[in-house]
Amino acid sequence: MTDIRAILQTDLVTEPTRHVLTERLNAPRRQPAFFTADEFALLRAICDRLIPQDDRSDAERVDIAGGIDERLTENKSNGWRYDEMPPDRDAYQLGLRGINQSAELVFGKPFVALSTEQQDSVLKAVQALDSPDSAWQTLPADRFFEELLAEAVENYYSHPLAQAEIDYVGFADAKGWEL
Amino acid sequence: MTYDAVVIGTGAGGAPLLARLAKAGLRVVALEAGKFWKPAQDFATDERAQDKLFWNDERLTAGNDALAFGNNNSGTGVGGSTLHYTAYTPRAQPDDLRIRSEFDVGEDWPIDFTDLEPYYDEVEQFLGVSGPSPYPWGPVRKRGYALGPLPVNKAGRLMEQGCRTLGIRTSPAANAALSASYYQDGVGHRPACINRGFCQAGCRNGAKASMDVTYIPLAMHYGAEIRPECFVTQFRRDASGKISEVIYVRNGQEERLHCKNVFLCAGAIETPRLLLLNGIANSSGQVGRNLMAHTALQIWGEFDDDIQPFKGIPGAVISEDTHRPAQRFGVPTDFVGGYLLQSIGVMPVTYLSQLARGRGLWGADLKRAAAAYNHVAGINILGDCLPYAHNYIELSDEKDSRGLPKPRVYFSNGENEERMTAHADQIMRQIWEAAGARNVWAFPRNAHVIGTCRMGHDPDTSVVNADGRAHDIPNLYISDNSTFPSALSVNPALTIMALALRTADKFLMSERAKE
Repeated sequence: MTDIRAILQTDLVTEPTRHVLTERLNAPRRQPAFFTADEFALLRAICDRLIPQDDRSDAERVDIAGGIDERLTENKSNGWRYDEMPPDRDAYQLGLRGINQSAELVFGKPFVALSTEQQDSVLKAVQALDSPDSAWQTLPADRFFEELLAEAVENYYSHPLAQAEIDYVGFADAKGWEL
Repeated sequence: MTYDAVVIGTGAGGAPLLARLAKAGLRVVALEAGKFWKPAQDFATDERAQDKLFWNDERLTAGNDALAFGNNNSGTGVGGSTLHYTAYTPRAQPDDLRIRSEFDVGEDWPIDFTDLEPYYDEVEQFLGVSGPSPYPWGPVRKRGYALGPLPVNKAGRLMEQGCRTLGIRTSPAANAALSASYYQDGVGHRPACINRGFCQAGCRNGAKASMDVTYIPLAMHYGAEIRPECFVTQFRRDASGKISEVIYVRNGQEERLHCKNVFLCAGAIETPRLLLLNGIANSSGQVGRNLMAHTALQIWGEFDDDIQPFKGIPGAVISEDTHRPAQRFGVPTDFVGGYLLQSIGVMPVTYLSQLARGRGLWGADLKRAAAAYNHVAGINILGDCLPYAHNYIELSDEKDSRGLPKPRVYFSNGENEERMTAHADQIMRQIWEAAGARNVWAFPRNAHVIGTCRMGHDPDTSVVNADGRAHDIPNLYISDNSTFPSALSVNPALTIMALALRTADKFLMSERAKE
């Protein structure tokens, strides 16, 4: 795996690039400002299944849920929203509730109390629109899942440690590339 | 003070026109919603940091094939979406402008290829487009490209290899990024491309011909004024119906400009949105209608080779053999129009985000697919799209942060686009199979919003005339992709610029005729 911290110190990285990547690398784990503590714990548990980080120490884990909380706190948009979806803040609150209700209806426990296999089966059902209908009356489950997954992936793979995991070194382009 | 012209938007439609009017000695000002960036210090090689280049005001997107916005389509900042375009600059072919004559559906343009040709030539030379000479498709050119083609990356090599096996001709593509340093009066020296491959997230050294390093400096050289971070909201009209004032918001405060003429160049969503908000130029009822979006299916594959898909100009290789596939291959097709084939490189977050949306992968499956990033290469198409009554933009009831109604955009591919895409899916899979790809997958998408204020001779069925002037308002012109009567089977930027120069010249001629 690429030693990202070492590369960032070299002249292979431009100053603006070094600045944003170092800041992201050193960002503290976020205390939720938009989500409640319970919602945030649930969102973290979901993100851990979508993009597992079991091989990382706590200090090195990418704070995927924190990035979502930050965006929703600032009410930032990525420029578009499926017309059938409510505004992002509402969608996340309804979607988290839907996932928890699906867990309760199928396994009789909240999502965070389930085994990882049970959690995965809840998420698969949400993605495939096989969740109990009663949990998803005001939100299309498949669209919510798509939006959540895309945002989780974008947060995770924007992080230098995740980029090192896939051996991406494109940010070290101060001198350009020979083809 | 009264300006001769207020230009709204500084992208491919606004910037060339602004430079032309300034050169003619007019007092001109451009209003731009976004910032005036200094790429060397403001642009990081980081997709997340660069999302500041996208038009991120929320648009509601509806229909069977709801369009993505943000990083797909409009940009913000001086230079507009050219700040994040891939700089792919093929010319339209003459028959692209005559879809109805050829197929009895869609719309013909009210102008001919010969009207555009001298402007294509001028824009290519001014920007320093790098490409092959001779170019294998379309009419014989009067002049070759300004510079030789850019180096071909691995995705391009693989496409060449696959196409060779199948008997499909390829060529290095025309790209508005410099294969060698280039000098232009009024602009100065621009350095050669260093193959960063980050075109879609902002060029750092000015090698890519975004408007902020080409037509905008030229316009400023001739005295044009640029006002960034100004969001236009209203037009005031005089007793004769002409626009006399443009009202915009800067730093939360309303300001106004007195003007003799207005050039609306805000792109195919914001241009009709502004007209609809003001209830003007719409006696035809066509503002916001006829929305088209190119068919743009991508086929991705994994290869044994180390591809490093972030390196080099993303769209390195082209084939226009599929422009009219029936003519080229002698096999009838079940769709009208055609498309081009293009090799594609990709930045990691863009690729993995598409992987998430397109394949729905998560958990260990996602990690496995992501680990192959350095081994992926893509091909995509860029194909024509017919106008349909079911595709349009309207104002929604939901308000944005400025208190203005968010646009709602409806888009569903018709049978023709579905058939064209199916044809392309088959061909691209064959190319990738011949090149040795594994784990091939398709990402369906549409790119570029086009046609929401179309041009035509008939004021009942079009918004502007062939010169870009609004049928309803004599001192209002539109110059951007919203005026295209058909989508074309090529990327729109070069044609937008060519048409912008033509619109400026037509305007200047009509002004001279008044004197």
